[in-house]
Amino acid sequence: MRWTLIVVAVLFLGLFLFMPLAVVFISAFAKGIKVYFEAFREPDALAAIRLTLLTAAIAVPMNLVFGIAAAWAIAKFEFVGKSFLITLVDLPFSVSPVVSGLIYVLIFGLQGLLGPWLRAHDIKIIFAVPGIVLVTIFVTFPFVARELIPLIQAQGNDEEEAALTLGASGWQTFFRVTLPNVKWGLLYGVIICNARAMGEFGAVSVVSGHIRGLTNTMPLHIEILYNEYQFVPAFAIASLLALLALLTLVVKSLVEWQSKRQFADEEKNWSLEVA
Amino acid sequence: MSIEALNISKKFGHFTALQNVNLEIPTGELVALLGPSGSGKTTLLRIIAGLEFADSGNVRFDGKDIGDRTARERRVGFVFQHYALFRHMTVFENIAFGLKVRPRQTRPSAVKMRSKVQELLKLIQLDKLANRYPSQLSGGQRQRVALARALAVEPSVLLLDEPFGALDAKVRQELRRWLRQLHDEIHITSVFVTHDQEEALELANRVVVMNEGQIEQIGSPDEVYNHPATPFVYNFLGNVNLFHGRIDEGKTYIHERETGHVVYVRPHLLDIERLPNGGDHFRARIKHINSAGPLVKVEAITEWGALVHVEMSQDRFRNLHLLKDEAVFVIPKDVKVFEARETQAKVV
Repeated sequence: MRWTLIVVAVLFLGLFLFMPLAVVFISAFAKGIKVYFEAFREPDALAAIRLTLLTAAIAVPMNLVFGIAAAWAIAKFEFVGKSFLITLVDLPFSVSPVVSGLIYVLIFGLQGLLGPWLRAHDIKIIFAVPGIVLVTIFVTFPFVARELIPLIQAQGNDEEEAALTLGASGWQTFFRVTLPNVKWGLLYGVIICNARAMGEFGAVSVVSGHIRGLTNTMPLHIEILYNEYQFVPAFAIASLLALLALLTLVVKSLVEWQSKRQFADEEKNWSLEVA
Repeated sequence: MSIEALNISKKFGHFTALQNVNLEIPTGELVALLGPSGSGKTTLLRIIAGLEFADSGNVRFDGKDIGDRTARERRVGFVFQHYALFRHMTVFENIAFGLKVRPRQTRPSAVKMRSKVQELLKLIQLDKLANRYPSQLSGGQRQRVALARALAVEPSVLLLDEPFGALDAKVRQELRRWLRQLHDEIHITSVFVTHDQEEALELANRVVVMNEGQIEQIGSPDEVYNHPATPFVYNFLGNVNLFHGRIDEGKTYIHERETGHVVYVRPHLLDIERLPNGGDHFRARIKHINSAGPLVKVEAITEWGALVHVEMSQDRFRNLHLLKDEAVFVIPKDVKVFEARETQAKVV
């Protein structure tokens, strides 16, 4: 029974996860290493990689700050509308990315709510880089906050109160006590947030306008190449994203292992005390 | 530094945690706030520390109102029930924390900080464990580190919230003695919260007995134990037998049925005899004997069917040769009578 289950699980994973991943790399190297690396020399490809990195470089730090602020407020304070705020944090998870993209078009697009004002001031958001960054922030917002809320709640207030009575200011307490206690969870949230920020397709596709060399991120560039039957370059860029995903997985398991070890340490001593 | 709490009231939603509490603590005393859970003792301590703010009333240190000062500005040493050590810092870093976070002008040099921490480590007898993390220490060691950390900032008062509550009985005894000694050495005004009457009576100069957000009695351990002001204090500070009774021409009578008064007798203030000795007594039948421990505990059923607890020394027990189911005479040596009105409101 046990073996049947394991075999079924392995077959399933192999078919649906491992094979596609293998296909990405096999197709990428189908015409040799030279052709593979040529795909990255193309200016449009480079522009797409740059834009993806830029987007992540803006979206991840912002969500780090917002995420910490939201998690802190939700975990530490009781206030009216708290459950509403929690729902709001989760909203990007429950809304289809395409819809999130559309929302931004409806607000910032030329025909949108703020369209006339933006045109009057010569600010372009939709079909431009700001739009891509904005939807990426929207889509990846929950990752850091969601990761931190249960962690901060579990820590309780004792250590912060202790820091306070010892004369620490609010900021000192935050940087020296609160943050170090949640650092692994925070890192975990940032890693997932980054992976999603670089890989997001739907929402970015809606607001991007697909202007080559200007508003194409890596996922969008891959789609264009694929539609033009340029399979090797398409899979070559895709392999880069896949590598990033693998790297994320490795770091993620490292972080999980670390935080589990820390947790196990505390558990162990706690049980010692009870005994 | 002396502490005064004047007319402190505090509510959490509909729950009244403190109601017009007045307390004065002279410099250098070691005071216990004693009461059952929900009596408001921890809230009062946290209000003194500035971790909680009273709805009304004042807190004064050395006569100066400090109601608007935050916990950070009050310079109190606070020790938490669950230690609240910084888990990502070593013992050394934990103790040094209060010095490190000082503004540059008042922050001691690295050398001074080190010697100060070393000195405190020696005081708590943990100088060999300076580089350990809290998770590598036992409960008793952790609580000592917490105490050293609080003392490092040279607080003007020391506040301890159930400091030994999470420790086992043996370690608790040890730490209690150690804290007593420490207080004798440094004479810092100290207030500790406890629900353990034995701890309060053994450790404190003065005991403040609290119940339902109010102070029932303030006094020396001897006063609150031997001269309890209210039925609650009598009941809370030790085991007690309750009887219906009445006072007639200055003499106390125990009754079977409900009367206007309740008679309180501690188990060790009852004696057992085989024969009536001519004085006050009532009859009872022995139901259970527990002779393990310094005192022998005897449970008996009175002639009107109530349960009565009697405690006697091992010597006395051996002389009497008491047996189960034996009919005996119970002789009250000292009783205390309260009006039933009072007792119903206070005794749970």
